[in-house]
Amino acid sequence: MVRNDPRAVALPFIYTPHPVIGLSAEALDKYIVGNDPHTGKSVIEEIIEVLTRPIEGRELPPDPEKLVNTGETQTVLGPDTEENLQQEFYTRGWTDGLPIILPTEERVQKMLTGTGADPDEVVGEFFRFDTGESIKFNVRHVAVVAVMAGARPEYFPVILAVASTKQSSLMPSTTAFGAMLVVNGPIRNEIGMNYGIGAFSPVNMANSVIGRAWTLLSICWGFARPRRTLWSSQGNNLLYNNMCAAENEESNVWEPFHVSKGFKPSDSAISIFRGWGYFNPPGTAAHRSVAEELNIQLAAMPPLNSSATIIVDPLVVKNLKENEGFKTRKDFCRWLSESIKIPAGQYWKTDHIDMLVAPMAYKGVEPYATWKKLPDDALIAPYHNPDNINIVVVGGETSPLWKATDYGYVTSAPIDKWRAKKSQVECTDGTCGLPDEPVQYDSSD
Amino acid sequence: MTIEIRYTVLTPETGIQRSPGKFPPGAGALAPATSSFARRLDTLENKTIYLVDTGFGGGSKFMIELQKWFAEHMPNVKTIRKRKPGNVFMDDNNELWEEIKEKGDAVVFGVAG
Repeated sequence: MVRNDPRAVALPFIYTPHPVIGLSAEALDKYIVGNDPHTGKSVIEEIIEVLTRPIEGRELPPDPEKLVNTGETQTVLGPDTEENLQQEFYTRGWTDGLPIILPTEERVQKMLTGTGADPDEVVGEFFRFDTGESIKFNVRHVAVVAVMAGARPEYFPVILAVASTKQSSLMPSTTAFGAMLVVNGPIRNEIGMNYGIGAFSPVNMANSVIGRAWTLLSICWGFARPRRTLWSSQGNNLLYNNMCAAENEESNVWEPFHVSKGFKPSDSAISIFRGWGYFNPPGTAAHRSVAEELNIQLAAMPPLNSSATIIVDPLVVKNLKENEGFKTRKDFCRWLSESIKIPAGQYWKTDHIDMLVAPMAYKGVEPYATWKKLPDDALIAPYHNPDNINIVVVGGETSPLWKATDYGYVTSAPIDKWRAKKSQVECTDGTCGLPDEPVQYDSSD
Repeated sequence: MTIEIRYTVLTPETGIQRSPGKFPPGAGALAPATSSFARRLDTLENKTIYLVDTGFGGGSKFMIELQKWFAEHMPNVKTIRKRKPGNVFMDDNNELWEEIKEKGDAVVFGVAG
């Protein structure tokens, strides 16, 4: 992958076969004396040669100021048939492969009626590592993608809020990141989002389309170019709609999630989560308490930065509050933080912990520095920061189930700033938009 | 008679402004120009080579085996194994690189996953 990184072009690279991780010493010895798959030369001979051969003539790194994509920007296609345009969008890498709604000018204009924002307003900006470009995108761009995803204009403020985070749902990692998009506030009901039965199932238009719009935005922003920006070896099919759902605030006996992030209950907001592990148990808690069950499940997923996100049915929260004594979300998170224990050896021998947390331990950051000095069998509390444990309430109260994930909270964004402007005419008696009373005309008799 | 409908559509390149960008802070810097690379060695004999593990899984074990190879086949080469500072994606400080400049003659840096 580094071959495509403009920062590294001038460095002399030698490749071993892949993978390196998880191999025996004997297998690694064979890599060392074996051949570089790119050159066919012996790896060890190449190492010696690179260290002793003059480097004159090696290619210089390109200047990032000159890295702008020279591909011609094409903002209009056609006229052409539906079939050809569907194929063209797919071939150009603008879709997930599922059919899209073709973004005609009329459809995009209709989408723009869903917001009061100027179509030319810049929604966000990000940097593309593969091309060295700064990308700015405006409201009209997001409207095109929203049409493609099948959105109605009333969904558009939610999609704009997602876009305003500048977060891609697809990550340029060899691992298989998952993402989750949760909507809070009054807009959930206004646009018919599902937070009850089957909220994560493919049955609700708003959930399906808004989640997919995030993926299509990410694809159109360039995050789906295999071996340039997309490296996930297996990929993750949760990214087709990013676990998009609303929170069941009506049945949640704790505060809504967005309120825990500083929003008012009357605000509408989106929240984004990201991670890998997803534990979707078939059973509930017939023989152990909910807290004990979660304790077991989360202990199996050593977290980064103490992060976990647990998506619970409202029945679970009611039980935790009424029968297990957790009056607030914070009470429960504090209990989880203190109760979940795993051996230090299990923690440090987890690959991503060694890669990303061990450097903090070496720097002296606590509690990692202390944990690093412990014997393998000493117990540690890997979810040491209860503020990084998130509880989201979703479900239809048919079973007290939950999903335990290692997802971390990324960010939230307000939706209301993207709403369509209110009508200039106040409608206080509920008669606005109703047909006029029948008019009685004079008889000509 | 069949009527074939043809559409003219906007593309998702609509509303996109491209301009030259800069790598975000902390996301790494440009590789040095070729002229700033350390001069290559004439021989590895009696030289000190740092074997620096990036922190990616598997990298440390690979460097252990590489160190064994040098010990067995080129015993006059001194190897020092280290893990790079900071996490795998960025450095915290330059201490290791300064140490290598002072005490080392060459670096082998790797290996990813």
